[in-house]
Amino acid sequence: MRKFGILVAALSIIAIATPVLAHHGFDTEYDASKHVKLEGVVTMVTWTNPHMRVYIDVKDKDGKVTNWNMELTSPNTIRRQGWGPDDLKSGDAVIFEGFAGKVVESRGSLQTIMKKSDMKPLFGPGGPDAAQPVKQ
Amino acid sequence: MRKALVIAIAVAALATILQAQGRGGRGGRGNDNPGRGDGRETTNQAGVLTDNGGVRYINPGSPTVPEAEINSHPIPRMPDGHVDLTGPWVGGGSNGDIERDGGLKAGELPLQPWAKELRDKRLAKDEPYTSCLPMSVPRVNPYPWKFAYEYQSTGLTHIYVLHETGDAGAHRVVYMDGRPHPRNWVNNWWGHSIGRWEGDTLVIDTVGYNDKFWFDSRGTPHTEQLHTVERWTRTSWGRIENDFTLEDPGTLTRPVKLHFTGRLLRPDREGKADLMEFICLEDNEYGRAAQIEVGKGTDGRK
Repeated sequence: MRKFGILVAALSIIAIATPVLAHHGFDTEYDASKHVKLEGVVTMVTWTNPHMRVYIDVKDKDGKVTNWNMELTSPNTIRRQGWGPDDLKSGDAVIFEGFAGKVVESRGSLQTIMKKSDMKPLFGPGGPDAAQPVKQ
Repeated sequence: MRKALVIAIAVAALATILQAQGRGGRGGRGNDNPGRGDGRETTNQAGVLTDNGGVRYINPGSPTVPEAEINSHPIPRMPDGHVDLTGPWVGGGSNGDIERDGGLKAGELPLQPWAKELRDKRLAKDEPYTSCLPMSVPRVNPYPWKFAYEYQSTGLTHIYVLHETGDAGAHRVVYMDGRPHPRNWVNNWWGHSIGRWEGDTLVIDTVGYNDKFWFDSRGTPHTEQLHTVERWTRTSWGRIENDFTLEDPGTLTRPVKLHFTGRLLRPDREGKADLMEFICLEDNEYGRAAQIEVGKGTDGRK
């Protein structure tokens, strides 16, 4: 858990340190001041173009459930890092961070996500089926 | 906790440095999205991707052959002796800002006043590419692309430029059979491209573009007088250079030369490097989080 704390601190500082340059219009849709860190249960992972999405049920303190729609990058990009449908499924309990939508807050941009069962960050470089280094 | 903070600051500093390297140097492409392998992939020490050109979501970019392996193989050749430019490549054109990506300093792109004014008033939400319209020349985004040679009984007749995305499924044709540009052409998204070899450099001359696409997400415009000349040279196994001449008397006060660099896509675990399926319109929800209507870059002509 302590490692996770370090990770979250690092991510938060990096996010502040890096200016936004929209590829697909981050600034247009998402609010960099609305950073969220939530826990929930995955209801759907869509490996669709142009960007994949993870849908997560999040229960608030009053028991109200909101389904968050979190956008990633293209599924091809994630696939090339060695990730696939087996790595995150409906029913998985997760901790995730991201930025809420400017108007529809539960439509967010996903910054990091990990299953509570192993706390390993998903969808970055070096997935389980990642390519080996190119042979010389 | 103090240790955690120190580590966090160190990681943040590293990421910022890496990003700065990626944006500045490279003598070519400055921006993101694509790039890769040239210092623009900013990951933290935990191995989690945190930022790729400033886009704040998980976006590890397209992996490219590392710099240390750029010369690890000879430059390949086709059976007929032509240099093999196939790729797939990542980068090699503009994306975020053609001026910066092409190696110019801020303000060096000789835009006429009206063009500069239009660029500055365009809104990111109206970028045609985000509505799945073609990026056209010289733009490439973070996703891989390749040259595909077509040989017929008469030899090399066509070269196709296939981009994994951003082109709504279109392919670009470069005629290699010696034909001239046509007369009475209907201007379109990719224009009319004729190619020739100058040694091992593929020279592509294109006219006949429409004025609907943007050179970059900044909104740099052009007119139908646009004329481009690309000079593609594979300078090593893992690198391709694009010496690019941009001519548009409707937009620029003079022709300008830009330079872009592409990197070879890293092979997968089976040793293959291929383009993948990409259907831009499949689930394009762009704009909904802000409940805005995207404009398709039409500058008011919706």
